Amino acid sequence: MKALELSKEAKDQLAELEDLSDKAANGDKQARSELRRALRASTPAVVAEASTLAKKGECVLIKTAAAGEPLMEEALLARLGLLRSEIAGPDPSPLELLLTEKIVAVWMLTELLELLLNAQLGDLPKSQRMSHRFLKFYLGWQEQAHRRLLSAIRELARVRRLESRIPNAQTNVQINVSKPNGD
Amino acid sequence: MSPYYYRSVREGGRVRKEYVGSGALGEVAAALDELKRRQREEEAAYWREERERLQRSAAFLQELEETAQILTRAQLLVSGFHKRNGEWRRIRESA
Repeated sequence: MKALELSKEAKDQLAELEDLSDKAANGDKQARSELRRALRASTPAVVAEASTLAKKGECVLIKTAAAGEPLMEEALLARLGLLRSEIAGPDPSPLELLLTEKIVAVWMLTELLELLLNAQLGDLPKSQRMSHRFLKFYLGWQEQAHRRLLSAIRELARVRRLESRIPNAQTNVQINVSKPNGD
Repeated sequence: MSPYYYRSVREGGRVRKEYVGSGALGEVAAALDELKRRQREEEAAYWREERERLQRSAAFLQELEETAQILTRAQLLVSGFHKRNGEWRRIRESA
């Protein structure tokens, strides 16, 4: 199976955005306005392509998890759809949509890994049991997937908080007490 | 084939030879060891393929993460944020 990936055009657009972001982060004001233009021009296409990629990837993971059971495939697809709309919420921005796709895809991966591991813990014949080396790799991968899921959720929460201009939980209060006259 | 069969045994990172037998007994022991070795190889190849299949299936996540990371950073930069000490903060506009 060929690995799923973005088109060359999308990759070029992302490379341009990355380059302009580096310049803007270093204080280049012209790069910032160019970045705004490039972002406006390329975001819808890149997000649409990345969403398609995510959905295709999810289908591959679903097929592995469902192991050929059509009902299970349908149930997982429906669960992902529900999860997607719950996370994205009403009227999401393109960026929120993309981060939602990321969360849903990583969630599917963690579910798949959990399912495969549970199957291993059941009554499988010795020939179908994972080798110790594979189990070690597998547990490491599962841990990595959990970390990725948490980081994706944090990223979406951060973007929402920043975009909504809600201040941080930390609030600094400064009280100025003026000295009485004559002292 | 040598009339004497020795089996290699690994003990604490060192390999030593262990005498098994000679003649027909040695030949049977050698055949059994060869069979076990092939089974181990086949099993290792199976799990290697399984691992590669899983990694290929999830490879799209890497693309997705990179895309999200680049777009998030660009979006925050144009929305007036900058990264300071690993945290995104709004740039204070001078009055």
